Amino acid sequence: MFSLEGITNTIQNWLYSTFDPTFALLIECAIVILLAIGLFAALGLVLVLMERKVAAHIQIRLGPNRVGPGGMFQTVADTIKLILKEGLVPDLADKFLFNLAPFVVMIVAMLLLAPIAFAKNFQIWDINIGVLYVSAVSSLSVIGILMAGWASNNKYSLLGAMRSGAQIVSYELSAGLSVLTVVVLTGSLQISDIIASQADGWWLFKGHIPVIIAFVIFIIAVTAETNRAPFDLAEAESELTAGFHTEYSGMRFALFFLAEYINIFIVCAIGATLFLGGWMPLHIGHWEGFNHIMDYIPSSIWFMGKTFFLIFLIMWFRWTFPRLRVDQLLNLEWKYLLPISMLNIILVTVIAILGWHF
Amino acid sequence: MSASAIIFYLIAAFILGAGILAVTTRKIFRSAIWLLFSLVGIAALYFWMQVEFIAAVQIIVYVGGIVILIIFSIFLTQQSGKEMAKPALQKNIFSALAALFGVAFIGKLISEYGFTEDQSKPFNVGVGDIGTQMLSTTEHGYILPFEVVSMLLLAAMIGCIVIAMKSKDNIISKS
Amino acid sequence: MFLKDYISEVYTGVSSLLKGMRKTGYYFFHPKEIITEQYPDNRDTLKLAERFRGEVVMPHDENNEHACTGCTACELACPNGTIKIITKFDISPEGKKKKAIDTFVYHLELCTMCNLCIESCPSDAIVMAQNFEHSVYDRSKLTKKLNKPDSKIREGIE
Repeated sequence: MFSLEGITNTIQNWLYSTFDPTFALLIECAIVILLAIGLFAALGLVLVLMERKVAAHIQIRLGPNRVGPGGMFQTVADTIKLILKEGLVPDLADKFLFNLAPFVVMIVAMLLLAPIAFAKNFQIWDINIGVLYVSAVSSLSVIGILMAGWASNNKYSLLGAMRSGAQIVSYELSAGLSVLTVVVLTGSLQISDIIASQADGWWLFKGHIPVIIAFVIFIIAVTAETNRAPFDLAEAESELTAGFHTEYSGMRFALFFLAEYINIFIVCAIGATLFLGGWMPLHIGHWEGFNHIMDYIPSSIWFMGKTFFLIFLIMWFRWTFPRLRVDQLLNLEWKYLLPISMLNIILVTVIAILGWHF
Repeated sequence: MSASAIIFYLIAAFILGAGILAVTTRKIFRSAIWLLFSLVGIAALYFWMQVEFIAAVQIIVYVGGIVILIIFSIFLTQQSGKEMAKPALQKNIFSALAALFGVAFIGKLISEYGFTEDQSKPFNVGVGDIGTQMLSTTEHGYILPFEVVSMLLLAAMIGCIVIAMKSKDNIISKS
Repeated sequence: MFLKDYISEVYTGVSSLLKGMRKTGYYFFHPKEIITEQYPDNRDTLKLAERFRGEVVMPHDENNEHACTGCTACELACPNGTIKIITKFDISPEGKKKKAIDTFVYHLELCTMCNLCIESCPSDAIVMAQNFEHSVYDRSKLTKKLNKPDSKIREGIE
């Protein structure tokens, strides 16, 4: 049967039998980096097209439909356009930080890829603090945004950067707390443990109402953390003319744009891992026959299916609601999401201690 | 020299370089960014030592919290785009002396301690163990620091509420 | 009491969000609702909205008669001077003088399609047509005469 695990094992055995260990490790690193960059490029193309199509259909439009069959190659054309465009740097900008900022955002997105399990035993780094690592490293991306906003020497950019900073710092709390509910139920931060604990059913189904509440809060909070509508105050086109990336053009702008979509993919992958079981096929308790049939679908397809379902959910969310005002944004976090998720985590702790989950 | 040692020296050079740039640059925002890179380098060092939990906490507390706070206060108070005046020669001399003294002091401590190579297996601590250790009252337990920190946070929170609270007179005079 | 308000607020918030998502989700899964017209491709089968306003026309019946009395209500109603009515006096068979239009001048290039002239017309002599392909190479072609040559007012319209 097709599995990514077999392929990686074959490659690893071949490498270690042909080269000495240090050199083989270096080659493996190079392969992983190439794969990550390839994944990024592919995701950028697919997600941008998907977003435009979803947005169009939700708004009763057709969306891109001229380049290629059904507009399939629209994003390829856009990418070529962005590569060929001149990358302007404003005269009074802090040139070093201005050039560095898009790379910081991009590198953070790359680092976040490390602990994600794409399929059974197909994971770059199964770090033992997986979830904590993700929430720690994702807080770095705000630095890139603040750098971009300040270095542009533009008041709109600076305002956008500050809004984005305030937003990410406050929504990190409830995102962290909703991640903690699953950690409490699993008793481990490691991604592989969390997935293994869902072998007899996903936490969304096993964990009763508190986990569903945590899931909803997680989706809202990560939408805010990735600066997407309805929480896109950081770039609010109508108020700040695109906020922190007002002054960016050409390839540097493309990096920001790509990083936004990569971040969506990553948070959705984390959400799928925590609440929908990652690559774990849909298993229901002790229905052995049913579970066995589900196992025939490759784990990578399960993972991608769940992730893209969550991405669709976030896009649906985005194209339905109007943008929040700043005070509404902070009210939502501090008066509603945070108290509710605190109460929720107490409930989950009680459930976990008494073993009330399935 | 093994690959591990090369990586260590690279990280160390990165930390020191970023640190020196942080104190010598004359734009305050750049200084904050260099400080941030230095702190990220320290987190990388923790990762190198395979104490991932400490590394993640380092990133969350210093990078995600403190540096962001510093940057915000720079944004809100300073004219952050301007170059600051060159510090006086006296200041330079004394800060260099202070740094040298610190290096000498730490070097002496390290040479006296005489590290032995640790042969024990790399620790792989689960989240449950961390939680238990945090709340244990036995020797090497962290219950006291934990409680002190929670008191501190509670005080900070109450302080915030007091600052943000509208007093009754204010409301009346405004309306 | 406070808690009750809080819970009901959360409940109405969530339920109204779900209502919105249900609507957009319905549109997403029903591609038949899409209203985009792929214009140059489907020029023959183009479907325009009922109230789409293209230009002002004056309908004439088979006897080459229109319903315009020349009252200039439309000219007065027009906010930017698009309509200019030149009147004349017809002599009726009984020898009475009667006011009638000579030329109904319509400047399409000035018109904003605001529909005020049609609203103000007491005899419904002018209506909005739906054709929108107005581009020409010469601006003077946009100044139109709406009443056809030798047309006259329909009987019984005052």
